[in-house]
Amino acid sequence: MADARPADFERYWQETLDALAGLPARPELDVLPLRSTEFATLHALRLTSVGPYRLFGYLSIPAGRGLFPAIYYAPKYQSVLEIIPQGTANMQRSRYVTLSLAARGQRNSDAPYAAMFPGLLTDGIERAESYAFRGIAADAIRGLQFLLSRTEVDPTRVAVVGNDLALIAAALQPGATHVVTTPQLFHRAVDLAPRTPAYPLEEINDYLRAFPARAADVRRTLGYYELAAFAPRVIAATLLMAGAPGAVTDAASLETLAAALGGAVTVHASEESTFKDGLQIERWLAEQHGIADLAAIIPEQWR
Amino acid sequence: MRASYRSVVRKPADFDAFWADVLAQAAAIPVAPELVPVPLRTSDEIEVFEAFWTSLDGVRIAGWYCRPARRPEPGPAILFMPGYQMDPPIPKEWARMGYRALSVAPRGKLRSMRQFNPGYPNLLTHNIVDRHTYAYRGFYVDAWRGVDWLLSRPEVDPARIGVAGSSQGGGLAVTTAAMRPEIRAASAGCPYLCGFMDAIELCHTYPYEEINDYLRAHPERRGAVEETVAYFDGLNFADRIACPIIVNIGLQDNVCPPETGHALFDRIGSPDKQLYPYDGHGHDAGRVRHRSVMDAFFAKHLASPPGSRS
Repeated sequence: MADARPADFERYWQETLDALAGLPARPELDVLPLRSTEFATLHALRLTSVGPYRLFGYLSIPAGRGLFPAIYYAPKYQSVLEIIPQGTANMQRSRYVTLSLAARGQRNSDAPYAAMFPGLLTDGIERAESYAFRGIAADAIRGLQFLLSRTEVDPTRVAVVGNDLALIAAALQPGATHVVTTPQLFHRAVDLAPRTPAYPLEEINDYLRAFPARAADVRRTLGYYELAAFAPRVIAATLLMAGAPGAVTDAASLETLAAALGGAVTVHASEESTFKDGLQIERWLAEQHGIADLAAIIPEQWR
Repeated sequence: MRASYRSVVRKPADFDAFWADVLAQAAAIPVAPELVPVPLRTSDEIEVFEAFWTSLDGVRIAGWYCRPARRPEPGPAILFMPGYQMDPPIPKEWARMGYRALSVAPRGKLRSMRQFNPGYPNLLTHNIVDRHTYAYRGFYVDAWRGVDWLLSRPEVDPARIGVAGSSQGGGLAVTTAAMRPEIRAASAGCPYLCGFMDAIELCHTYPYEEINDYLRAHPERRGAVEETVAYFDGLNFADRIACPIIVNIGLQDNVCPPETGHALFDRIGSPDKQLYPYDGHGHDAGRVRHRSVMDAFFAKHLASPPGSRS
């Protein structure tokens, strides 16, 4: 799969990284007392990404003296930015530094650009150079860079968790030690979209039905985002969350991607239960990060 | 799950009067339904539109509307309600099954946020000490008025309208079934907004954790919070539900504790009700396994015109 990537794949992303490097992040942190507890302090984060574009995030720091393991919740494919993902025990914040970031277009990072969901996946997709996700990928990288700069964070225990952007950020920015990725957008998207009527891939079906003459341009753009092309650069231990058997991103579909990843890989096939799948992620992260009392930081209903 | 748990939710004496007054205010505001084609999302099989209507306080509300192409005759309709953080989806899957389907974006959701946007987190506690301005007062009416929008469509059979949703969508399905007699069948998955004050004791996850955050910062306001949310608690709407209804819950639900789902089910007034508890499932509430149950339920109650059913 990596051979199918555009010839100038490296140049495309190096230009993006160079643009990011040319802009200071200028972070601002402000304590949010309403969301702070005796076990963690929550901060509103603002920082600059390419554009220049000012982004928003939530940084939570455990009480006590670090170093702490860290979880970076990379930007999701939804408008809402969560402090920690819905359903995660708030006590997770007592053990981990957590950072969640709204990429451009998401709420709190939606001025001047407000993304639509659905709609974002194909916004500007006909032109790789200015495709919306080029900036969004830079945003995701910027968030990881910021987290790695924090003195509270144990640099040997930094996990990036999310969809495709988690893997892309970990590939383009050294420093992540662990990745949990649930491919949703950029795994063989052009080939798999016709096999599903479900959004977000349905956005590609909609787009190509409306603009069939742009099929080659869409394929070219998505070539720069193909997960397998990033995979060799990911040397972090990776938990690859596959769909249930038969899903477009099931374990069989992800086999080539898994094989291309540069670090140790664990593939988990969805059991179509947010309880079982969620517990698998929590358990894996805790084991990898040396957290022994898992029960203390997972939801009551999962103990 | 705590089998012995008993809900603390109590219905205010003036609950019905409160909502009668809110509905009277809403009735004075024209619905002003609007339908705008969306060619980008439309195919030979499914037509897609943006829907708009006006709700309480004059707030303009959006939705996505899908219908089977080339089917002008009146047919069954589904009102789809969104989750708390979910961006309201384009309900093509319902249209593929033959339903005219409206996916509602109540105030504060994308495309309905110009006049009201407390954000996430925040929506759950926005004006939570005052039932007359609490966020969900307008939010509920926005959702219920989706029924009026459907009734404005000639291709919708007014005798065959159902409501469905999960999480917040489940809670909205409950209140809509309770407040709109046009609803003939309802499906509520892992209903949120049911047992507010129970949930904040039973789980410590967002979004309910927003209330715990608020009470930690303002402990002196607990009484006012309890008073307000009682008017918005799905448990207190449940006795008004008269249509057939199914409820699915996950026994390991970490967002909407299963105890609250049981409490809701116990209070539902309809004799035609069925609870589907899924062990080994969290906030998905067995969605994949439950899909065939839900499809059969709506097919039974909505697929055929009332006069032709056995």
